[in-house]
Amino acid sequence: MIELRDVTKLYPASSRPALDKVTATVDDGEFVFLIGPSGSGKSTLLRLLLREDRPTGGTISVGGMALAGLPRRKVPKLRQRIGCVFQDFRLLANRSVAGNVAFALEVLGKRPAEIRRDVPELLALVGLEGKAERMPHELSGGEQQRVAIARASVNRPPLLLADEPTGNLDPETSRGIMALLERINRGGTTVVMATHDDTIVDAMRRRVIELHDGTVARDEARAVYGAGR
Amino acid sequence: MRAALLSREVSSGLRRNITMTVAMVLTTAVSLLSVGAGLLIVRTIDDIGALYTDRLEIQVALTQDTSSNDPDCTGPICFRLRNVLESTPGVGEVRFESQQEAYTRFKELFAGQSVADVARPQSLPSTLRVQLTDQAAGPDAVRAAVANQVGVREIIDQRDVVAKLFDFLGGVRNVAFALALVQAVAAVLLISNTVQVSAFTRRTEVGVMRLVGATRWTTQLPFLVEATVAGLIGGALAGVGLLAGKFLVVDDLLGAIAQSNVIPPVQLTDVLLTSALLVPVGGVVAGLTGYVTLRLYVKV
Repeated sequence: MIELRDVTKLYPASSRPALDKVTATVDDGEFVFLIGPSGSGKSTLLRLLLREDRPTGGTISVGGMALAGLPRRKVPKLRQRIGCVFQDFRLLANRSVAGNVAFALEVLGKRPAEIRRDVPELLALVGLEGKAERMPHELSGGEQQRVAIARASVNRPPLLLADEPTGNLDPETSRGIMALLERINRGGTTVVMATHDDTIVDAMRRRVIELHDGTVARDEARAVYGAGR
Repeated sequence: MRAALLSREVSSGLRRNITMTVAMVLTTAVSLLSVGAGLLIVRTIDDIGALYTDRLEIQVALTQDTSSNDPDCTGPICFRLRNVLESTPGVGEVRFESQQEAYTRFKELFAGQSVADVARPQSLPSTLRVQLTDQAAGPDAVRAAVANQVGVREIIDQRDVVAKLFDFLGGVRNVAFALALVQAVAAVLLISNTVQVSAFTRRTEVGVMRLVGATRWTTQLPFLVEATVAGLIGGALAGVGLLAGKFLVVDDLLGAIAQSNVIPPVQLTDVLLTSALLVPVGGVVAGLTGYVTLRLYVKV
């Protein structure tokens, strides 16, 4: 699903590369934790996968698309294959739960009939049946993240990138979100999740890629957060 | 992108940003109004040129003595001058206007004004009115032929008088265009700024569009349409302003002299055509500004 080869990213203002010859492969259907301290390059890596930014060196391919030569007009095609959720949910405050999901379908040019069919399905997927007409501020953090996940799933993407999705949530709620991500993963979606949450990583026992100063410090299957813990 | 979504996004964008939108519309309107006024002045200058070229004469005013003593141009001085003028190349008809005729015309011209009452026939010169067949070389030829001749008091080229009017109108036109240019810069900057603010206030929406893989076109279109709509409204307001200017100002101030055929009236069709032109110009300029702004400053 993802192939990184010697990926290097230099920001003009910084002397040290944000990513330094990172090589890694993520297979279809894998669940991978991306860990490491702040500034280790996690966010940079996710940005490169979304083609928000281009690497200084090395090659990246996502879902069979080589990002290096990808023309700008094909970038939307790439992003339709990647779902994305964040720590801060990024919901539209003036739209209901259903409205938020519908907005994503609308901007993709879906027909009203499709939208009426897909929105309830997506909300059922994340366990928000019956809350379609709520506004985001009426929801708990966990529920808001579920809306974000529903929205990230409008294209039924084969890859889901999650950047600290539980960063704003209490442990109990976080477990619920992790259960949801795991369920999505069991459905065949590859999940890459950047996180600081050692409890979750330790409990899940999935593959861990640890970045440190822009390099891969550790890449282990069924691993825990820190070797010393 | 579906029309319903587009119109919703555009109207919410314009409303959310209402003060900026109003400023953008007004600046665009004033700028286009200046452009339109300038274009109409150019048109009027052309019309005046056409109106006068055939009518302009050179007037050879005769001295007091000759004027008083020779009421029908049969005396030697006037007769000789007339012959000289008629044989000058570039000259067509030469017409004699006696003191009495000048007085009659003067009374008509200044009817109702006190100057008409104090004027006496003796105080006006009789003139030889020279029509030209060669507008370019004629005036100089006439001057060369009769300047400083006995019986000639003054040579008046009507062209000089009209030239002053042209200079004045040309100045007004230049001011209008200069104002239009300054206003246009302000309008373009405001449009650019409004698009940036609009994109910023909607960064979450734009972010969602980008992440789910909406096309660049879908993401940009609401902003472009917003700018274009504001530009079109600005153009329409400018058109209304031009029409109002014609009916409330120009017709009022210049109506009387336009009727007496001194200057051509500002035609309604010209005003309508210019107004109609301003609307698409406003839309296109605003749309292009929006597009360039999105390209340069906004990641959408």
